[in-house]
Amino acid sequence: MVAPARTPVRTDRLRAVNEPRRVTVELDADGAPGKVWRSRDNAAVVETVLEMWRIDDEWWRQLISRRYFAVMLDGGTRVVLFEDLVSHEWFMQSP
Amino acid sequence: MPNRLSSSLAACVWIPLFPLRCEEARHEGLAAFPTALLAPDTTRKLWQISSLARHAGVKPGMTVSQAIGLCPALRLLEPDPVHYDEQFAALLAALGAVSPVVEAGELGLAYVGTDGLEGIFGGITEIIDAIRLRIAGCGLRNGNAGVKSAIDNPQSAIRLGWGVGKFTAWVAASRAKPSEAVVVAAGAERTFLASQPIAVLPLDPHTHRRLRQLGIRTLGALAALPEAAITAQFGDAGKRLWQLAAGRVTEPVAGRVAPEPIVAALTFFTPVGERELLAHSLDQLIARALKHPRRIGWRVHAVRLRADLESGGMAEDDSRSAACCAPTNRSWLINVLLKDPTADAARIAAPLKARLEQSPPTGGVERLVLEFTAFAPGTTELQLFARDAQAAARAGQQRALRHAAREVRMRIKRANLFHVIEVQPWSRLPERRYALIDYEP
Repeated sequence: MVAPARTPVRTDRLRAVNEPRRVTVELDADGAPGKVWRSRDNAAVVETVLEMWRIDDEWWRQLISRRYFAVMLDGGTRVVLFEDLVSHEWFMQSP
Repeated sequence: MPNRLSSSLAACVWIPLFPLRCEEARHEGLAAFPTALLAPDTTRKLWQISSLARHAGVKPGMTVSQAIGLCPALRLLEPDPVHYDEQFAALLAALGAVSPVVEAGELGLAYVGTDGLEGIFGGITEIIDAIRLRIAGCGLRNGNAGVKSAIDNPQSAIRLGWGVGKFTAWVAASRAKPSEAVVVAAGAERTFLASQPIAVLPLDPHTHRRLRQLGIRTLGALAALPEAAITAQFGDAGKRLWQLAAGRVTEPVAGRVAPEPIVAALTFFTPVGERELLAHSLDQLIARALKHPRRIGWRVHAVRLRADLESGGMAEDDSRSAACCAPTNRSWLINVLLKDPTADAARIAAPLKARLEQSPPTGGVERLVLEFTAFAPGTTELQLFARDAQAAARAGQQRALRHAAREVRMRIKRANLFHVIEVQPWSRLPERRYALIDYEP
C-alpha cells in the first residue's frame, strides 16, 4: 500500500479497484455455486465453498442486498462470488 | 577521498580465469591435470575449469558428482579468495607504477589510463611494453618459497588491449591472443567494433538469447538498428548496449586514490562454525572499526569481510584416486558496497550478515578480519538522515519507484501507474474499499 499523495485527491482521477465482473453461475443441488462462466467458453468448476454471508445495506437510498460465497476454483484460485438479490445477477471479484 | 583521476585512452589488462591460474601457479604440476575450482559460495558446484577439464565435457556450474562422472581424473580445488585478492592487488600495484589512473574490474581484469603517457614512454607500443614489463617484474609471490605466482604461470599469459574508452580496450583485449596486444587506433573504433560478436557486450543470458533469436550476431548488426527500437525492446539497458555497440559512448578509466583501509581482526582459540557466534563477532569488529580515529568524519562505503578457514587436511598426492581436492590454504571473502554510505553499525552489518547466511564459510573460521576499504564524506545532514533507518529505506524505495516509472514510460510511452489509496476501508463491499489514482513520482 502506497501512502496517498499530499496533493488533494480529485475524484475524477480516481479509478475503481476490484469492481465486480458479471458472470454466469450454475448452482448445485444445495443452491451453492457449482460452476462459473467468466465468458461463453471460459468456465471453471467450484472446488470448495469456503465461506458464505449476506449483506443488506443502504435500504434508505438504493437497497443493496447480496449473498456472498468465498470459493476456491479448480486450480486453486480463490474468488468471491455474489448474487445480487435485487437483480438476481451473479458477479465475481477478488477476495 | 575524492575521485578526480580519469583518462579517456585506456589499456585493458586481462588474465582469463585468474583464480584458477593462481592455483595452478602455486601447485606445481597441477596444470597437467584436468582441474576445476569450486564455487566460493557453494562447494557443490564448479566455478572455473581448466581447458583439459573442458575438453572432457566439464562445464562451470556443474555439480561435483556430474563433473566426476564425466571426468574421473578431475582435480578439485577449494577456493582461496583472499589469496586471489592479494594477487590481484599486487597486479594493480604493479600497474600503478605505469600510470596513476588504474581501475580494477573483476578479478584478473584491470584498466590503465594512458592519457599523457606518450610524453614519458613514447608511443602506444612503448606504453604497452612498459605495462608488460611492470607486470612481469612485479614479483608476485604468495609467501611460500619456490611457489610461482599467477603471473609467472605460462598458461596465464596476459592479454592486452588498447583503445579510446574502456569498452573498446576491453573488446580489444578479449580479441588478443595470449601474450599479445590488440591496438585500436583512435577513430577506428566503430569499424573495429562492428565485426565483433555481441558476446563482448555486458549482457545477461536472457538478453543475449533474445538478441540471438532476433538474428543479431555482431555489434555492427545491433548498431544498424534504430536506437529507439532497441530502447523500446530492452529499456535503459538496451540503450546503453546500443550506444556501446555503435561506439557512441567513451567511458573513461576512473582511477581511485585507494585509502588505507581500517582493519579490525579477531583470532579464535578454536575454529568457529556457528553462525550466531560469527555474527556476534562481526558486530564486535564493526564497533571496533567504527571507533577508529581515521573513521571520524567519514561514512563507510565499502566493506570487506574475510576469514582464514581451518585446513582441509586431505591427502596431497594420490594420483591413483579419481577426483580429489588438492590441499589449499582455505579462505572465505565477501566484499560489500553499501548503496548509501553510513556510519551506522546495524546498516553496515545487515548486508554482511545476509551474505553470511546465504554463503557461509565452508569450514571452521580461525581468524575473522573486517576492513573498511572505501569512504564517503560524512555531512551533518546525511548523518542525521542515516540515524533514521526507516526514512532511508523509504527514500530508497522512492528512488527505486521513480527509476522503475521512468523505465516503464520509456518503454510504453503512456505509463499506467497508479497509487492505491484507501477510500472506505471499513466498507463491507469490497469494491468500495480502495481506488487507484495516477502515480506521478
